[in-house]
Amino acid sequence: AALGLYFPRKEYLENVYIDEPAGMPLLRIHALRDSHEEVAHFHLCQNLVISRARSHENNWFQIKEKKGVLYLSKSLDREDFNMLSVGNWMPLSKVMLYVFLSSHPFQEKECDSATRTTVVLSLINATAPACSSLTARQLCFTEMDLSFHIKENKPPGIFHQLQLPSVHHLCQNLSISYKLLAAEGVPFRYNETTTSVQVTQRLDREERERYELIAKCTVREGLREMQVEVPFLVNVLDEDDSPPFLPNGTDTADAVVEFSRKEGTVLSTLTVYDADTTPIYPLESSRKKYTGTIITDDPWISETFRVEHIFDEIHFSPNGSQVRGTRHEYKLVLNKSILVTEHRSFQLDVLVNDTEFHGPERSVMLHFNVSILPVSIQFSNITYQFTVNRNAERFAQIGKICIENCMKFRGVNITYKLLSPNASCYPVSILQGREDKYGTLYVNDSSVLRRPECKEIQYTVQATDKQSRKHTKTLLTVVLEGTLLKKEEDCPDSCAMSKHRAECEECGSLGVLTGRCQWRQGSGKGITTNYSTCTPSIKTCPDGICDVVEGRDPAVCPQDCTSGNIIGGHGKGIGNLGIKSGHGICYCFPRQNCYCEKDDIKEQLCDGVCKIVI
Amino acid sequence: LAGPPSPPGRAPPGWRVPVDCVRANELCAGEPSCSSRYRTLRQCLAGRDRNTMLANKECQAALEVLQESPLYDCRCKRGMKKELQCLQIYWSIHLGLAEGEEFYEASPYEPVTSRLSDIFRLASIFSGMDPATTSKSNHCLDAAKACNLNDNCKRLRSGYISTCSRELSATEPCSRRKCHKALRQFFDRVPGEFTFRLLFCSCKDPACAERRRQTIVPSCSYEDKEKPNCLDLRGACRTDHLCRSRLADFHANCQATFQSLTSCPGDNFQACLGSYAGLIGFDITPNYVDASTTSTTISPWCSCKGSGNMEEECEKFLRDFTENPCLRNAIQAFGNGTDVNLSP
Repeated sequence: AALGLYFPRKEYLENVYIDEPAGMPLLRIHALRDSHEEVAHFHLCQNLVISRARSHENNWFQIKEKKGVLYLSKSLDREDFNMLSVGNWMPLSKVMLYVFLSSHPFQEKECDSATRTTVVLSLINATAPACSSLTARQLCFTEMDLSFHIKENKPPGIFHQLQLPSVHHLCQNLSISYKLLAAEGVPFRYNETTTSVQVTQRLDREERERYELIAKCTVREGLREMQVEVPFLVNVLDEDDSPPFLPNGTDTADAVVEFSRKEGTVLSTLTVYDADTTPIYPLESSRKKYTGTIITDDPWISETFRVEHIFDEIHFSPNGSQVRGTRHEYKLVLNKSILVTEHRSFQLDVLVNDTEFHGPERSVMLHFNVSILPVSIQFSNITYQFTVNRNAERFAQIGKICIENCMKFRGVNITYKLLSPNASCYPVSILQGREDKYGTLYVNDSSVLRRPECKEIQYTVQATDKQSRKHTKTLLTVVLEGTLLKKEEDCPDSCAMSKHRAECEECGSLGVLTGRCQWRQGSGKGITTNYSTCTPSIKTCPDGICDVVEGRDPAVCPQDCTSGNIIGGHGKGIGNLGIKSGHGICYCFPRQNCYCEKDDIKEQLCDGVCKIVI
Repeated sequence: LAGPPSPPGRAPPGWRVPVDCVRANELCAGEPSCSSRYRTLRQCLAGRDRNTMLANKECQAALEVLQESPLYDCRCKRGMKKELQCLQIYWSIHLGLAEGEEFYEASPYEPVTSRLSDIFRLASIFSGMDPATTSKSNHCLDAAKACNLNDNCKRLRSGYISTCSRELSATEPCSRRKCHKALRQFFDRVPGEFTFRLLFCSCKDPACAERRRQTIVPSCSYEDKEKPNCLDLRGACRTDHLCRSRLADFHANCQATFQSLTSCPGDNFQACLGSYAGLIGFDITPNYVDASTTSTTISPWCSCKGSGNMEEECEKFLRDFTENPCLRNAIQAFGNGTDVNLSP
């Protein structure tokens, strides 16, 4: 059986001075029990650990096996002190001792028991100060904070002694008395004769997990009286003594699969509460303690779904005081993408098990009503009609093609394709980005637009679902309109190269819809997303996104797509592409630099770093 | 390389001055008995369990021999050449011996003997300003200006700023790994008179405090989507030799103590501030939690939520940042341009 005895502290601190006499008591350690019959036996590991992991045989300290009093068995002289300080860099030398605990007398004195506490002794390079030179604080308490932990559901017992054994031993002519200040009804009792503190009843963490008391010490020296108060804290340690329960009794939730069919989609969540705490560190072991398992014989269900468990700390207030508890969330998640044709409904049960709780109600059953609905791959009842100006240039974006509900789809890969018309007029194409749910119709061959015989062109658009091979078609009409403009001479290769409104609007270039570039007049001051620039189409460029058509040729919209240098005040776009914000007018030489500058005043250029600095 | 010129090693009297671990390793390799014992010990420690190791006679013998070799007391220097190698040697011996569950671990770094006053002396030469006359100005802005006037500081500062503010994608605001690396370079290679002024400038208004908070580009280097548990963060840090060493160094130099006036070990503010700066660019990167001018609270990006029975320990760990009188006094003293007067 596991050892029920435990220490109410992880660490004890005390000072040791040079030449203190043998027999001098240093501190008293207590142990708390699991059952009334247990008797604590204390023992020391035979090695001292000097800081930095050097160890030395322990020749000076011993512990009384039953009382837990650590004392000096041999005076620590200056030579001992120097030896124990070697390799210690800090001005203060510290040695550590491990105290072990057993419910029966120790036979083999080995450092192997799991239950141990550490005693850190600060070796002070001086003889013990005279009692008269000590402050009340030093006479009453050590540097050790008075903070203890007591396990819940354990029998009462003594866990601390306020009096300092060394002071009591050395300063017998002083009267030092203690008091424990506590609110009414607190389950702790102070015994004035022994100065020991006792927990008087079994504690329940789910009722209260922290007690804050005050230890008060009074020192009397003749007529002088001094008082010191320090906080005295008791934390109640948790054990798994509460079963899981359902908030509002809810154990059922709907889980509908419709447009989101992608692996990883969270369909539904059910919550389970537990009054016990669950450490998130280490995470994996806590997950193992609280399991959620899908109960099914159907291999399709176990392949298609998984349950994800997350938990976090919440607070309960059982009787005014706040205690920590846990909220466990069980999420029903798609383990793989589901075909658009799939159609079924069933109840999926998840068994939640609090594995460390020893009681009959350690588990709860959660129910998910799962409905998998098929989705249709179809165009809504329209035929597409787009009008294209005859002066449009290559990479002009005409419109978007999208099946019904296409923007809602997740995990459904639709590809759009134009089925070639019989005619020889074939100016447009469709492009689709990698994750795009829609297709973008754009001018692929602008010379066709100029041919007089091409007026109205009929296409068939086909949308295909990759997984199910389901497809659907609709008609698309492209009407060419407008009269051909005369081409300007000396126009740049890209709208983005124009620095002024006039030269921008009289030229056309890649991507323009009506034969002319468009000027965007920025209004903002300083570095703004609304900077002035010349672009083929204000709607698509610059909008901060380098879309699939713009990405085809760096001359179309370098404002969104450039990966080159940008000179002048600016902010870069996502993934370091494009100009997200700029100062004044931004213009670009495709495949080279972009420049952002205020046109009227020649201001000093400021790059990204300079912007942050000033 | 880093730090102002310090007075030659002021080791406490009677202590032997340790050699660095890279050198100690070379010395040991030159001695057949030492190098074979070192190999044995490393194999013993690879098992990771101290008790089983100590039970083994061969391991114990190796340990005893090595306790006398320079390897046992060796240390490393912040920003030294081959720092990582040095720390690897250090932890190869200490990892298995140091129990692995100690709250505070011993620092593998040499103690800092220089003082804040050394920095002030140099800083006033650099800035040409008397701290007393600049009480109205924004000290954090002055610090940025001073850095920009120094080529090295300016280069490394713009280096980390541009790395840390480079947006990768809509979901990934930056490369945290690269940002941390650039920050480590800045704080390792730029002298304290520049880096400390940026990190610990004193502020009277929120704009200044916000600039101070922004020094390390917290949106990339500090904040994250979720706040992990502090013990989890400490665990992650301890799996990395460099991070583990910096954390141990922070604890050694900033751990509040009742035994000094300033609450700092040895009243050494410079050592505390230096080891604080040494944490920047690791999982455990600390920063100002807000732009408050009245109460400066510092914390790593973690909380004690979900600590279970370890809450006390977690809060103790967190308090060494959030409620540490030594760290607070050191930052304040730096801001005021005061240092402790050392009695000779």
